Amino acid sequence: MQPVLWYNTGVLVLWYSAMLDSVNPKSAIPIHRQIGDQIRRSVAAGLLEPGDQLPSVRELAARLLVNPNTVAKVYRDLERDGLLETRRGQGTFISPEVAALAEADRRRLLAEQLEAAARDVHAFGLSEKAALDLFREVLANRRRGRQDKQ
Amino acid sequence: MSENGYAITTDSLTKRFGRLAALEDVSAHVPRGSIYGLMGPNGAGKTTFVRCLLNLINPTRGSATVLGHDVVRDPVAVRRRVGHVAALQPLWDWMKVREFADFMAGCYPRWNPEPISTILSRVGIGQDAKIQTLSRGQRALTALAVSIGHEPDLLLLDEALTGLDPIARREVLRNIIEAMHAEGRTVFITGQDIADMERICDHVGFLVKGRLILESTLDGLKARVKRIRIEHPADSQPEVPAGAVQVERSARETLLTTRDFSPDLLESLSEPSRRVEALDLSLEDIFVHLAQPELEIRA
Repeated sequence: MQPVLWYNTGVLVLWYSAMLDSVNPKSAIPIHRQIGDQIRRSVAAGLLEPGDQLPSVRELAARLLVNPNTVAKVYRDLERDGLLETRRGQGTFISPEVAALAEADRRRLLAEQLEAAARDVHAFGLSEKAALDLFREVLANRRRGRQDKQ
Repeated sequence: MSENGYAITTDSLTKRFGRLAALEDVSAHVPRGSIYGLMGPNGAGKTTFVRCLLNLINPTRGSATVLGHDVVRDPVAVRRRVGHVAALQPLWDWMKVREFADFMAGCYPRWNPEPISTILSRVGIGQDAKIQTLSRGQRALTALAVSIGHEPDLLLLDEALTGLDPIARREVLRNIIEAMHAEGRTVFITGQDIADMERICDHVGFLVKGRLILESTLDGLKARVKRIRIEHPADSQPEVPAGAVQVERSARETLLTTRDFSPDLLESLSEPSRRVEALDLSLEDIFVHLAQPELEIRA
């Protein structure tokens, strides 16, 4: 597997870095969901592609310093959801049918983030139109920022 | 498989030192293959519990079974199958690492030096190093490595991470994870760093003043103990449901922590004029909320 970029709370860290520590045990979010969401996020962002191999349960547990049973549970859950597949004697891979799922996951992950913003929109007493205008502005700023870099 | 799948069970285990009750009616259940974290403040009785399991001290009352053996009647059988690392374990300073391992090998009928070499070389400790030249972290790693030489089915790690710097702690954690992955090996670990426990444990017990106030799977605990946030009109204060352990109210918002969470509970608090959501808690929050002597929760 090629080293891939691992997306976590706005910071890009190298997946194969020896110092990788992308699990935050002090967070209220359960560790299995933190790991699961990172894999989903990487698939949604195209950083992990169909056929890519994931580390073994033991490897990933030792790397993230978490209980191997937790990693095994994440792999089981993602396999049940059709994101991963286990090939006997070979390991765990990103499923070939992941493309359709990634689309749904993209929408779900984004909706989760917008949910938090929507709560603030109401708490701050902003109108929906003002909020949508603001979001358009943020998108436009990012687009400009990207173009500047190129 | 012994004892219905439990590596450790205790039944009303009690230990008194004079008038001080170090352990009071502790009935713990540690499933085989789990990483079980026993947490509690200083003086809660964690080390006393481990010492009872190893028959280093006799319980005042109650019993303990380790891997199917009664710890008082059959202490040798227990010691043969258990690896033990204590906090800042004193090692013989004048020995070399190899000599220490050889010495320990002589104490057991069966010994496999391979996993020891694997750990020591992975963490860069030379076997010809004198123990007195090792750092605290290296000592902890040496003690951990040597503790699995007799291929124990159960590792008892008593405050094995306490007093280590973050880098050494991570290295010890990593090696505990590697060591437990042997088929069916159980890890029982005591400590105070709740974040470390949340990382590696799948079962937790909270010991407070000698009493086991809670024992659960980590997932089950996090599913049951949650915070509920309710936004409501000022004239519609929600009633406090049974099972709430803490309530914070302000004019239009109520935060309550419950130890009896269910979707039904969320439903019962819902009203058209309200916005209700459930929030996860970290293990540390849960511990702070529950470490009150009168509470008891069972898995």
